[in-house]
Amino acid sequence: MSERVAFVTGAAGGIGGAVAGALEERGHVVAHNHLPGESVPGYSALADVSDAAAVGRAIERAEADLGEIDVLVNCAGFVQEIELHEITDADWRRMLAVHLGGTYHTCRLLGPRMRDRGRGAIVNLSSELALAGSDVMAHYCAAKGAIIGLTKALAKELAPAVRVNSVAPGPTDTALLTDLWRAPDYLATLPLRRLSTATEIAAAVAFLASDEGSFFTGQVVSPNSGTVI
Amino acid sequence: MRVALVTGAAGGIGRATADLLEQRGWTVARNDLPGVAVTGHAAPADVSQPLAVNAMVQRVSDELGPVSLLVANAARMVMGPVEQVPESEFWRVVDTNLGGYFACARACAPAMAQAGWGRIVALSSEWGQVGWSRATAYSASKAGVISLTKALARQLGPAGITVNAIAPGVIDTPQLEVDAADLGRSLDETKRLYASATPLGRVGRPEEVAATVVFLASEQAGSLTGQVLAPNGGTTL
Repeated sequence: MSERVAFVTGAAGGIGGAVAGALEERGHVVAHNHLPGESVPGYSALADVSDAAAVGRAIERAEADLGEIDVLVNCAGFVQEIELHEITDADWRRMLAVHLGGTYHTCRLLGPRMRDRGRGAIVNLSSELALAGSDVMAHYCAAKGAIIGLTKALAKELAPAVRVNSVAPGPTDTALLTDLWRAPDYLATLPLRRLSTATEIAAAVAFLASDEGSFFTGQVVSPNSGTVI
Repeated sequence: MRVALVTGAAGGIGRATADLLEQRGWTVARNDLPGVAVTGHAAPADVSQPLAVNAMVQRVSDELGPVSLLVANAARMVMGPVEQVPESEFWRVVDTNLGGYFACARACAPAMAQAGWGRIVALSSEWGQVGWSRATAYSASKAGVISLTKALARQLGPAGITVNAIAPGVIDTPQLEVDAADLGRSLDETKRLYASATPLGRVGRPEEVAATVVFLASEQAGSLTGQVLAPNGGTTL
């Protein structure tokens, strides 16, 4: 069997890095997408995912260097904890451009390719907040919710060759997580009383991306310590 | 070595799950109805009988050690027009699919809580999520499995126990024969019918559900609780 190649966006981040590591453990060669100024521990695929042309160049180069990509994981993202009246048009556009636009750009390019090649798995990172909402980041919730809609549509459009699923993490112990989610009063509301680890999120991604998850498509799996049940 | 109890382990999803768990190093107690043959360590009991469940769990604990993974899989299915399902049969389905899960979880949870670690995985069904014509008792019982899972997840989480449900779509198991009989079609025709309505173009394999159980039982699935995982080939999103 030929070597399997994965493209992971946001691979310099906590979850993206853990996902890349989990896929490497399962035998994938991983193209680590990241922004300028960030470093990654493997093959570098530099691109701001909101830039469709840059994403296209990064994917073409990765396929030329590593081979045909058969796993795509969209992790690139950021948080911005501000209330509705504080969200500017620029904030809104940036939030959607990176999360939804980034996911769309990679899926648009790789989804049909995987379908034509007869094999592929895509996992898009959403968020528990897409399911539950939040009182401090409406634009983030909207963007992460849209990723679920896109995931379900692509699951139908790219079937049966390509499976498309989403992982919606709860609060996860990474550099992105602010003190809001680390407060003891908040943690006490979680049935499991603790944050998720990036390793746990990566395990769910790797499960869905691998043959173990071969009958899953269009699903949302949410490791969230029980905060959304 | 950790001990798993799989109910309804004589065939289909239960047997595939028990086999895969053993491959991954679990010691597996295989429950099914008294008189039904299972391979490996047998733990016979009718799960719809709470006293029999208590005795069975106690016996497993004495012989193999405390149960740290419960896979509540034992199920009964009848199909037919709602007005033709005898009330006694309705309750047999509910008492097995939902009551059996309840009794097993109640019997297994204390030892898990004492250990500060436990996993409960319950088999629901796509039909428990969306309902299914002529499968009223089964749909109701499997919807109940989801709600019971959510309640148990909230209650048992602080003790270090995760509780999740799996809602498979149509899987190639002996249970499909009940559908085929109800549809008045052959088993192969029934599979083709369901496959053509599934985005992935086929019915699922018991091993794919077993792999989902093994994932939920793993250390790295530790922050998943109260969730419903749905290996259904894309029929219900």
